[in-house]
Amino acid sequence: MTPYTVIGGYLGAGKTTLIRHLLEHPEGQRLGLLINDFGAINIDAALISNANHNTVELTNGCICCSLSDGFDEALSTLLDFNPRPDHVLVEASGVADVRTLAQYGHHPGLSLSGIIVVIDSETICQQAEDRYVGNTVLRHLLAADLILANKQDLISEQERKDLGLWLSEKSPQSLIWPAQQAALPIEIALGVESRAQEQSMPQLDHASSEHAFAHPTFARWVWQMPYAVTRQALEGFLDHLPSSVIRLKGLIDSDQGVLEIQVVGARHTLRKRSEIQHEGQQLVAIGLNPHFDAESLDRLANDWLASITQA
Amino acid sequence: MITVFEAKHIITMNPGNPFATHIAVRDGIILGVGPLEELEGWGPYELDRTFADQVLVPGFVEAHAHVMAGGMLLLPFMGFFDRMRGDGTLAPGIKSYEALIDALRNEESKLTDPNEPLVAVGFDPIYFADQPRLSRHHLDQVSTTRPIFIYHASGHLATVNTAMLDAHHVTRDLEVEGLGRDAEGELDGELREPPAMSLCRSGYSTVQRANNTEEAMWEFARQATNCGITTCTDLGGLSLLSDKFLEPWLSVTKSDHYPLRVAQYNIGAIPGSQADCEAAAARLIEIRRQAHEKLRFPGVKFILDGSIQGFSALLNSPGYFRGDDHGQLLVVPEQLKSMLMPFHSKGVNIHMHCNGNATQELAIQTLDALLRESPWFDHRHTITHAQLTTQAQLRKMAKLGICANFFSNHLWYWGDQHYEITVGPERAHQLEPCASAVREGVPFSVHSDAGVTPLGSLHTLWCAVNRLTPSGRTLGESEKITAYQGLKAVTIDAAYQMHLDHEIGSLEAGKKADIAVLAENPLTVDPHHIRDIQVLGTVLAGQKFPAAGVDWS
Repeated sequence: MTPYTVIGGYLGAGKTTLIRHLLEHPEGQRLGLLINDFGAINIDAALISNANHNTVELTNGCICCSLSDGFDEALSTLLDFNPRPDHVLVEASGVADVRTLAQYGHHPGLSLSGIIVVIDSETICQQAEDRYVGNTVLRHLLAADLILANKQDLISEQERKDLGLWLSEKSPQSLIWPAQQAALPIEIALGVESRAQEQSMPQLDHASSEHAFAHPTFARWVWQMPYAVTRQALEGFLDHLPSSVIRLKGLIDSDQGVLEIQVVGARHTLRKRSEIQHEGQQLVAIGLNPHFDAESLDRLANDWLASITQA
Repeated sequence: MITVFEAKHIITMNPGNPFATHIAVRDGIILGVGPLEELEGWGPYELDRTFADQVLVPGFVEAHAHVMAGGMLLLPFMGFFDRMRGDGTLAPGIKSYEALIDALRNEESKLTDPNEPLVAVGFDPIYFADQPRLSRHHLDQVSTTRPIFIYHASGHLATVNTAMLDAHHVTRDLEVEGLGRDAEGELDGELREPPAMSLCRSGYSTVQRANNTEEAMWEFARQATNCGITTCTDLGGLSLLSDKFLEPWLSVTKSDHYPLRVAQYNIGAIPGSQADCEAAAARLIEIRRQAHEKLRFPGVKFILDGSIQGFSALLNSPGYFRGDDHGQLLVVPEQLKSMLMPFHSKGVNIHMHCNGNATQELAIQTLDALLRESPWFDHRHTITHAQLTTQAQLRKMAKLGICANFFSNHLWYWGDQHYEITVGPERAHQLEPCASAVREGVPFSVHSDAGVTPLGSLHTLWCAVNRLTPSGRTLGESEKITAYQGLKAVTIDAAYQMHLDHEIGSLEAGKKADIAVLAENPLTVDPHHIRDIQVLGTVLAGQKFPAAGVDWS
């Protein structure tokens, strides 16, 4: 199963910056990207190993495929690469329906890892009222699992609070990651563990920002489980996850065989992976500091997952 | 060699010489139109009396159609209204589920390979709103073993049978949102939007491949001939994307027997995506070098929104009458000007699909901005569909020189639905405001958007003149136009908005000898009868092309 992520957001929000950053720092992942316009991404020529009409291969193993021939064709081109990309990302155009695009992530062979919507924190409220694109922007917010609230340096402390309240109304299901220069760690963006030593964040020139803006940091929680549990217990655990958990994943032995667990924001997926016999038996969660409370997760796991399944 | 065609009556659509009885042609070009004695001075001629009892009008110009009209009739057709194939056979309208199942059984029995999917097109659930939704259980009555894929008229949906779901391992545990389900969560066989439709790839790809074939292009032209059309747009071609879409067009149109001039407007960008329009505009100029008499590239097409009956057109306040508003632009408004500019600045005519009047507002504003920056007095850029154009928009279009291409066939095919469901009575009466366009001085054409509705210029003209719906309503007495105004809209004014009015669209000296041959005079028959006038065929560059079933030998 290849994880599949949609990156949406209106014009000027910072989508391209995020995508360029992920492409240039994939942390050992072979990313496959479906993009609208190679020119806009402006990939460093030194990074390009091979290019033709519709695809560009990078020296770090990532592949970009243009959507100019249509979505179906581009997706199959990408999935036919040998070896297959580790993760498929889709750059949605500013007016694309991200929720519809996300449905390809439920196709056999793919698994939807999440919908990331990048917003311009300064202008998003105005955009939502725009006569032409207001509804499109609101649909983006409703579909998002994770909102990258970009350009935080352009708004005041009070505006940040107001934006938080506004978003909790327009996008109650999503997690908000405040940022500037679209800085989103790959662990958060794609739910993959960074294989690099250093956490990858673009270097920011804080001095140039009018308002001081502290980058969010995240913490990790790991739960080892050398035994099987019931699906019912897992579901109970997931239903009680605190909202500070941004992502959680794992492959767990259960009374119904191996289950793959994926959480991004409010989206929980439990899927049977009958082709797998035994797996790592651990759950890994990441959450946003300072709200992330590893101890409460320990308690939750103890309540729901500590008992061994009676086969 | 000069041929003089004699007719009972010739309507030239040249206001300087409106009516005649004879037309002299040499090398595909008109030498003159008039009484025989005025034409004899051109030299020795052969008098052709084939049309002596017929009425000749300029060959019809269809300014918004798609080669899909050909491709879809090569597949079994399950639409609600009758369609005529190029060979003259009828694909009868399907009025009930029983008729649908019978028709599909009949098609199924023609297939020899038991694994070949049965793919049919044209079904429209809007006409079955009083019945349970079409499901796999209906289609399972046709076959439980052969995969079946019914592609809906909207292009957004399909219904498949259980064998099709099984063939592609589409099961109830798949979470794809477009998978229709019954109350118990079981799949019902409906597939909404491409992510769901493409799960049943064997059916979906058959539909997608159907249009870019030489067979589809021939079928398209034969249907056009049957309707008297001599120049037809393929308004939404893909030739700017790749040579593979251009090559079959070059090949078919070079045949002497190909009975149609094709005006291909290729899309500048796939709807909903961004594209490098500088490169696309440069390619358009480049492929124009391969243009010839029967294949032209007059301009570029952009698709700006969805459809009214799909609730995906972007409407001005007060929005839709009933149903949920899914109005959405397919371009980023701030990017539209920079997408159009590479074409506009090269003198390329632009046609923009706008079904909703909010979308149209954006198109007009953007053209206004474009013209301030890069003046072009004779651009003839066109809003196509333009169904809900307001009076204020018409005034602005007149000032800016923007043309309209109204989807008059909607009055008949969806007029009742617009009145009752989509936009409500007041705006339904003002759909396709042809008479207001006349009053405000906006040049306009009327179109079929074939294969969305069937090709047929007499039908689109009939709709604009009579404004009738299947239930018997007249939509908008004040927007009716005369038969003469309607005839202009499907000949010279359609040619005008493609910058081809100096070559086609009227019968006058120096222009192409492109003629539609009619059994009766559309200007003098009862206006209700216009769509029933028999079309006997066409003359294209002086060469006769009889309609299916007509013998001119």
